[in-house]
Amino acid sequence: MTPHADPAATVVALEGITKHFGSTVALDDASLTVARGEVVVLLGLSGSGKSTLLRHVDGLERPTSGTVRVLGREVTRLTGRALRELRSEVGFIFQQFELVPSLTVLENVLTGSLAAVRGPRLGLWSYGRAAKVEALARLERVGLLDRAYQRADTLSGGQQQRVAIARALMQRPQVLLADEPVASLDPESSDQVMALIREIAADEGLTVICSLHQVDLALSWADRIVGLRHGQVVLDTATEGLSKAQVMEIYGRVATSTDQFEAIELELTAVGGGAGSATGAATGTAPLRGDAVR
Amino acid sequence: MSAVVERPRTTGAPLAPVTAPPRRRTSPERVAAGLTLLALLVASVLALRSVDLDPARMVQSWSNAQRFFGRVGAIEFPPLGELLQLTALTLGLVICGTLLAAVLSVPVAVLAASNTTPGPVWRATARFVTVLARAVPDVVLAMVFVLLFTLGTLPGILAIGLHSVGMISKLFADAIEQIDEGPRTAVRAAGGTRLQQFTAGVLPQVLPSWVATVLHRNDINLRGSVILGYVGVVGLGMQMSFAFKSLQYGLGLGYALVIFVLCVVMEVVSSSVRAAMLGVAPTGRGLGDRVVRGVTRRRGAGRQGAAAPETAGSAAGSTRASGAGSVSAPAAASVSTDPTRASGTPSAAVEAALRRPWDRARVRGVSWGWAAVAVVVASVLVCDIAWSDLLTVWSGVPAVAVQFWPPSFGSYEASTMLAAMGETISIALAATVLTVGGSLLIGSLAARNVAPSPGLRGGMRLLLVGIRGVPEVILAIVLIVVTGLGTQAGTLALALGGVGLLGKLIADSFEEVDPGPERALTATGASRGQVYASATLPQGTRALIGHTFYMLDTNLRAATLLGIVGAGGVGYYLLNASQGSNYATVTAIVLMILVTVLAVEGLAIWMRRVFR
Repeated sequence: MTPHADPAATVVALEGITKHFGSTVALDDASLTVARGEVVVLLGLSGSGKSTLLRHVDGLERPTSGTVRVLGREVTRLTGRALRELRSEVGFIFQQFELVPSLTVLENVLTGSLAAVRGPRLGLWSYGRAAKVEALARLERVGLLDRAYQRADTLSGGQQQRVAIARALMQRPQVLLADEPVASLDPESSDQVMALIREIAADEGLTVICSLHQVDLALSWADRIVGLRHGQVVLDTATEGLSKAQVMEIYGRVATSTDQFEAIELELTAVGGGAGSATGAATGTAPLRGDAVR
Repeated sequence: MSAVVERPRTTGAPLAPVTAPPRRRTSPERVAAGLTLLALLVASVLALRSVDLDPARMVQSWSNAQRFFGRVGAIEFPPLGELLQLTALTLGLVICGTLLAAVLSVPVAVLAASNTTPGPVWRATARFVTVLARAVPDVVLAMVFVLLFTLGTLPGILAIGLHSVGMISKLFADAIEQIDEGPRTAVRAAGGTRLQQFTAGVLPQVLPSWVATVLHRNDINLRGSVILGYVGVVGLGMQMSFAFKSLQYGLGLGYALVIFVLCVVMEVVSSSVRAAMLGVAPTGRGLGDRVVRGVTRRRGAGRQGAAAPETAGSAAGSTRASGAGSVSAPAAASVSTDPTRASGTPSAAVEAALRRPWDRARVRGVSWGWAAVAVVVASVLVCDIAWSDLLTVWSGVPAVAVQFWPPSFGSYEASTMLAAMGETISIALAATVLTVGGSLLIGSLAARNVAPSPGLRGGMRLLLVGIRGVPEVILAIVLIVVTGLGTQAGTLALALGGVGLLGKLIADSFEEVDPGPERALTATGASRGQVYASATLPQGTRALIGHTFYMLDTNLRAATLLGIVGAGGVGYYLLNASQGSNYATVTAIVLMILVTVLAVEGLAIWMRRVFR
């Protein structure tokens, strides 16, 4: 475990979180402590509980048992305005960006400030000038100022994720959660987005918890890696001096059988495999389609 | 994929006829539903015989019609000034009514949608309100409101408004249930309240569908306004009914023609509004959509030329992405040095960006927005609404309510009324079976993947658009002139009008079937007809059943109303009772209609669930 000398610096503390969805166990007695300014990656297969864990930090899920403390407050006890206040201090970045496609980029960013205002807002005119100036500055920060008045769905995936980052910054958060932020992006956009998150975290002194499934990326990007498997924390270590082989080895040790280990390795290393086979299927049907048109 | 593999095997067997659709698993419920369908089919055939559709007699009466039209002489129109004033009044009234429904439907839909409702009780109540609003015909509401308000446009507006809430809020609730929950979760994660989650995460997603539904409903209401005239709602419909009652057939047909043209123009206008306000290319295949697509295609060529200078102007030193996802890597780094914080002074670039450029999209959006405001204001003004009536009316409610309750058949025998209701059901069933037959033929030929040639498809699509343009009531009135009063005219009017709608729905759903099985069959050397019977039709059956029940539902409502213009069924008694001030009888008839409509609605829901 990474040592935290000063307990006051602890920003996120999950203690013995168990979460059931019906009969499935999403999290099984998972604990995690993150200090201020740390950049942590949650590593694991899909279904290992990464997303569920992140959603607990933001109070989007309530644990079946265990406690969640974030920024000195017990999230599990918060309701109503207190819960919304906590959420506004925790930014969340989603795999699918979750922008409103029909709104302008600027208005999407402005929705990040909703917790700071009262009542509903619809349309650019309904936000004040100060909020607009701040939103435009956030857009400038992520390099998309010139796209402010375009519809969000006219942007590429990488650009949309940068807009989502600007929206999260609009909350003036202390903690930034990112759930597979680059899983839907091409490699080039992925690198940009990951670099941007790292830069902003450093500039603004943010604490970052980010879930990923690529070991390489996690090793080069994070201060610390937390491995999840079947809802349990099976690995928690600083990345410095750690090699990929070592990470795989740790995974291997906790895997109870060989094929489980192989499944992990397959998932963690061969990410591009799925796309290749999909292309093959598409070309396979092409001659038939041509026939039908005739 | 399995279907693709299987189909060729069954059709590939030598000498096997290509007629059997793929077998489904049979559950007891499925058997029961199938038997119900069969019973309905038998009932429809019996109904077809009972409404005396006699081709020989129709040919005979066609010569009657010729003689009749000879006697009527030329179609007449009222003076232009009066005509324009009436047209404005009709349009204003319909638009006000639709707007009222549009506003009321928002809270109802929010309560009725599973993902926005505060609780199951709210949801059930709201769903019940939508069903009830649709089940009570707007004519009945108009009768009541005419009694309460006597004069002016309010009865029509309220009748249209309250009745339309049913359809608009149902479709709006369905749209809310189908949204992408992501943006809403994002607002929730950012600390937004429930209301903020709705306005920022849900509303922007469903607004286009809401606008489209409202515009669509406005078209329907314009058609329906004809019949409202028969119960005393001012406008073109009322003048038409006066003309026919005073045997001025030429003038009546003149009004009918004006209304027909108005309906077609309205469809074109609402389609352009939809396209322009939403900034989305129309995907529908209606007449209006076609026109709009044609116009935008021509304009699109000009726009591309104009785009270049715009791009150069706004680039202004900032790194700009060209094409999808190809931002150069240093893009983020180059701007990261900017120390702008919310508290500090904004940079020059931010200051400049604060003013939204007046680009094409904004100019178009703003001008359409103001145009919409102008239309709404004009509609309200032209209706000259007596707002004070809304306050004073309540004192009259108890007196009127007493007249409507308790329900009774009054001077009529209960058996007469039940027979009349039976006649209405017969008309609806007979019309539906005729519609399904006709639509299956025309609709199939109007589907891209079935039609033997694009020309034939285009022709059939045009035919469907033309049929849809004619309000059913006008069709019925003209048919009554041709065939005389009675069930025959009503049945034919509904059947013909129904082909316009059902044919379009069938064509659309046939075009949407998975093309895989069709391709597979074509690859095995099946003929066009074989592909249609073995691949297209079986895949489209589910949608066909759904649409057919929708048609039956619609026809039943319409059949009650057609009686008002003399096309047979219970509607005749409804009008008689209201004109003879036998309001207790009106209530009894309305309850009868309500029960029947709700029964069919329940049946339709069950069928859709079983054959899902």
